Amino acid sequence: MPEPASQPPSQPAFQPVPESVAVAGAGQTAAVAARTLRRRGFQGPITLFGEETEAPYQRPPLSKEYLTGEQERDELCLLTPAWCAKNGVELRLGTRVTAIRAADRAVELADGSTVTAGAVLVATGGRPRRLPGVEGDRVRYLRTLADADRLRAELRPDARVIVIGAGFIGSEIASTARGLGAEVTVVEQAGQPLGAVLGELMGDTLAALHRGAGVDLRTGEKVESYRETGSAAVVTTSGGATIEGDLVVVGAGMVPNTEPAAGLELAPDGGIAVDEFCRTSQEGVYAAGDVTSFHHPVFGRRIRAEHFDNANAQGMAAAKAIAGKPAAHAASPWFWSDQFDRNLQYTGYAGGADRLVVRGRIEDFDFTAFYLAGGVLRAAFGMDRGGDVAAARELVAARAAPDPDVLRDEDADLTDLLT
Amino acid sequence: MTTEHWVEAASLADVRRRRRLAVTVAGREIALFLVGDDVYALDDVCVHKERRLTKGTLLYGRVICPGHQWKIDPATGEIEDREECQPAYAVRVEDGVVYVDPRPRVLTAGGTSNEQES
Repeated sequence: MPEPASQPPSQPAFQPVPESVAVAGAGQTAAVAARTLRRRGFQGPITLFGEETEAPYQRPPLSKEYLTGEQERDELCLLTPAWCAKNGVELRLGTRVTAIRAADRAVELADGSTVTAGAVLVATGGRPRRLPGVEGDRVRYLRTLADADRLRAELRPDARVIVIGAGFIGSEIASTARGLGAEVTVVEQAGQPLGAVLGELMGDTLAALHRGAGVDLRTGEKVESYRETGSAAVVTTSGGATIEGDLVVVGAGMVPNTEPAAGLELAPDGGIAVDEFCRTSQEGVYAAGDVTSFHHPVFGRRIRAEHFDNANAQGMAAAKAIAGKPAAHAASPWFWSDQFDRNLQYTGYAGGADRLVVRGRIEDFDFTAFYLAGGVLRAAFGMDRGGDVAAARELVAARAAPDPDVLRDEDADLTDLLT
Repeated sequence: MTTEHWVEAASLADVRRRRRLAVTVAGREIALFLVGDDVYALDDVCVHKERRLTKGTLLYGRVICPGHQWKIDPATGEIEDREECQPAYAVRVEDGVVYVDPRPRVLTAGGTSNEQES
């Protein structure tokens, strides 16, 4: 099915620099926005309202180094109390924003009070998508530090872990659990892990990576039913298998937390519609991070990016626009995943690609796959090839049409294609 | 001024070939990078996740770590938007030979200086 094209949103004028900023959310995006506002010379009060009781922390390690126990809590901290005190940034934690009144630039809080500001940044993130029917004492999701703490204690060498969904989070949890010696079964309804995003060949390669690490990967199988006995979690699949485990971890994607922002225009994909400056449909109200959907000038379509790099880039873009120093966010999306001792990186948007060119050796899990559409590089996926992906990211943003023979040639420097 | 400890690290021609080269100097694994006509030296292993910078790339004069795309200034080791710093070394090129002073420089208020050996 062809992807629907989208039009760039109309461009209202930039607002004068506001007196104060209220941020709904206190995650990566909010923290980066606060830091950027101060770096760009914004002097007014900044308040972050976070539903969790934790000060802003990094989420990427929660499924990786933190989950394995290699990293500790204090290493995750994004804004220390000392930095906040010195920079006049107030953290109001354990304080959920229930509504954003866009016309008044006000946030309503769970305790019934209202806070008004000169500008509001919506950085409410997302929450794990729940699987209907998969409920019980042995079901886990992973999004917050509290989720990770609980899971970390439970991923023991003798544990039998069932992971539902072989996306990035599911795969990282499977990898971490295997690394800790647990017995791991992964149930994925698609034919390959990430096949819909990366295509069959790469999906099969990821499947081989899982299986090589001793994961019992069941692709093309849906969860048919779920129940708990006194001693086990029991999953039955559409293929007729019955899998017993101690624990079920669901990695079925996320849902953007748009509910408080009912007055803002949403995109058809469910995110808050923003432009490349993170402006919403309402003057003085910005949105950034997992909660947004933005028109990407390179791909000519809306993108929902649920990852760390986008949280950073949009947090910065929103802060710069608020501080009166707008700079468009138009980089090619990029993310990484560390799983099964490999560093995976992806940039761009592979939808609509008509040609795949591989550099390196797929069978050794040491390669980069380039996705071209009409000769133009649209995306790249690499295993232990961060250098290639860094170059590809620039080529994608430049809409370059590189010679496939050069892409394939290990002796060619990809950065030469940029000049 | 501190005493210089120049150690021959590579030929300039070898650095030119791929604009990055992993070498071992006085037991240290060091990455050499060519930016324009200048050679820079950093610890090869990234301070963050122990990926090799020589497996990364050079973009617009900065070293991109292959692990998580941290952008490192090859002259100072400073990492964009991070508190961490990648150890950097002084480099001298003479008659087509690259020399490295294998004592990491540390950032000071006035720029970089050689670490005091204790």
